Amino acid sequence: MKKVITATVVFALIALAAIGYHRASAHAGGTAPEVPNAKEIIYEHLGDAYGWELPFNHDLRIPLPIIVKGNSGWHCFLSSRLENGATYEGFRINHGEQYNNKVVEVASDGSISRPLDLSITKNVAAIFVCALIVTLIVLSVKRWYVRNGFKAPRGGTAALEFTVDYVYSDTIRPILGKHAPKYAPYLLTVFFFILTMNLMGLIVIFPGGANLTGNIAVTMTLAVITFFVINLSGTREYWKEIFWPDVPMALKCPIPMMPLIEILGMFTKPIALMIRLFANMMGGHMVVLVLMLLIFIFTAMFNVYVGAATSVFSLAFTLFMLALDTLVSFIQAYVFTILATIFISMALVEPHHEKE
Amino acid sequence: MELFTPEFGLVFWMFVAFALLYLLLAKTAWPFIIKSMEERAELIDKGVAYAQEAKAQLDSAQAQADQLLTQARQQQADILREADKMRNQIIENAKGEAAVEAKKVSDAAHVAIEQARKESEKQLRQEVGEIALSIAEKVLRKNISDDQAQRTLVEQYLSEVKPAK
Repeated sequence: MKKVITATVVFALIALAAIGYHRASAHAGGTAPEVPNAKEIIYEHLGDAYGWELPFNHDLRIPLPIIVKGNSGWHCFLSSRLENGATYEGFRINHGEQYNNKVVEVASDGSISRPLDLSITKNVAAIFVCALIVTLIVLSVKRWYVRNGFKAPRGGTAALEFTVDYVYSDTIRPILGKHAPKYAPYLLTVFFFILTMNLMGLIVIFPGGANLTGNIAVTMTLAVITFFVINLSGTREYWKEIFWPDVPMALKCPIPMMPLIEILGMFTKPIALMIRLFANMMGGHMVVLVLMLLIFIFTAMFNVYVGAATSVFSLAFTLFMLALDTLVSFIQAYVFTILATIFISMALVEPHHEKE
Repeated sequence: MELFTPEFGLVFWMFVAFALLYLLLAKTAWPFIIKSMEERAELIDKGVAYAQEAKAQLDSAQAQADQLLTQARQQQADILREADKMRNQIIENAKGEAAVEAKKVSDAAHVAIEQARKESEKQLRQEVGEIALSIAEKVLRKNISDDQAQRTLVEQYLSEVKPAK
């Protein structure tokens, strides 16, 4: 009962604050609210950027290096030079149908082209931040063993060790058996990297806030690496089952139907990994953004009181969605790892003897 | 649909970051962590097995001790009974031996007494003879005619007074 009262009071305060803020801005000569461009806002939040927005400020950004190779060779400068549509060394950030929010090279005749862009964007910087975090936490676990030997770890190290044990002893080892030690470093790295990127994406302010695993480039890289790991560890039996499977001759001889399906399967497996992680994480972020935008859309469409009422529901649902996304972060990292493990174990297949 | 078109720069850096992370962790951390974890799990398993074995051993030792104690008690009782029996036997033996010894002593005494009696009888007879003779001598000194005939007579009389046995 006490909790219910507390929640009601909190939500009432949120609604009142929204109305109060609106009144204040109206007094300050603010214009009537217009319906926000939801698509643009969502894409901006989900997409990449040159420079990393500081918390609670839409204009202050941490400048990040832009590295591009255009027609005039390599260029390297800070993203602050391109702020507010400025052109620097013949480059600017384009806004338009083509190359939206990307660095483009402006030729002398005014035409634009996309250079080879290896900039340290917000996402790239976030990837390195996540890699650094993973390195630190994993090395902290290692340090525990170096220092304390066989003592049971406590606190954070124990939680990490539990996770490592859960992924390794309960997933990788039962599936891969004697091959487990060979593939465990790769799979554990994948798991912790994805988990860290997922969770960092949920933190909306500076060191986090980059939608990494909801970006198809990131999941694609992971999927391609996994594709190579799977197929480079394929045994003779694995390749035989792809090109000459144990099916009636009619299915493989005149028209190689089964081999075609099997070859297709080689690619659909990592593609499924890529899409699953990407869609789950991006979907979660998108729902949260839409719920937040609803407040402003309803305020603009109806009036501030409707918006205030919406803010209560939106916040409640957003809180629920973020809690769900925390769970999804773990589940998706785990699912990626377990599926990669299963695919690898399928590639390590040994010839099975016909059952009598 | 820029969300669905992978950006080359991001792919490139993601690959670099992942490769570096993998090389670093695969070289320095993961094998060590896994090995340590497995070793510790093994150690704990061994410890549990050891403790269970120790407990079983302790239990069996307890049972064994109980058994030994019972056995010892029985032995003690046996020994006591044996000792009792032995004591009785010794007493019995001693009694018998004492009786034999006593009989021997009394027999010897009998013999000695008999001997002494015979001796004394013989002596007595001789003495009585001598006394009688001397008496007779004294009596007959006055009318001694034939000493030898008198002595034979006395001897004859003495034989007659020899007490019946």
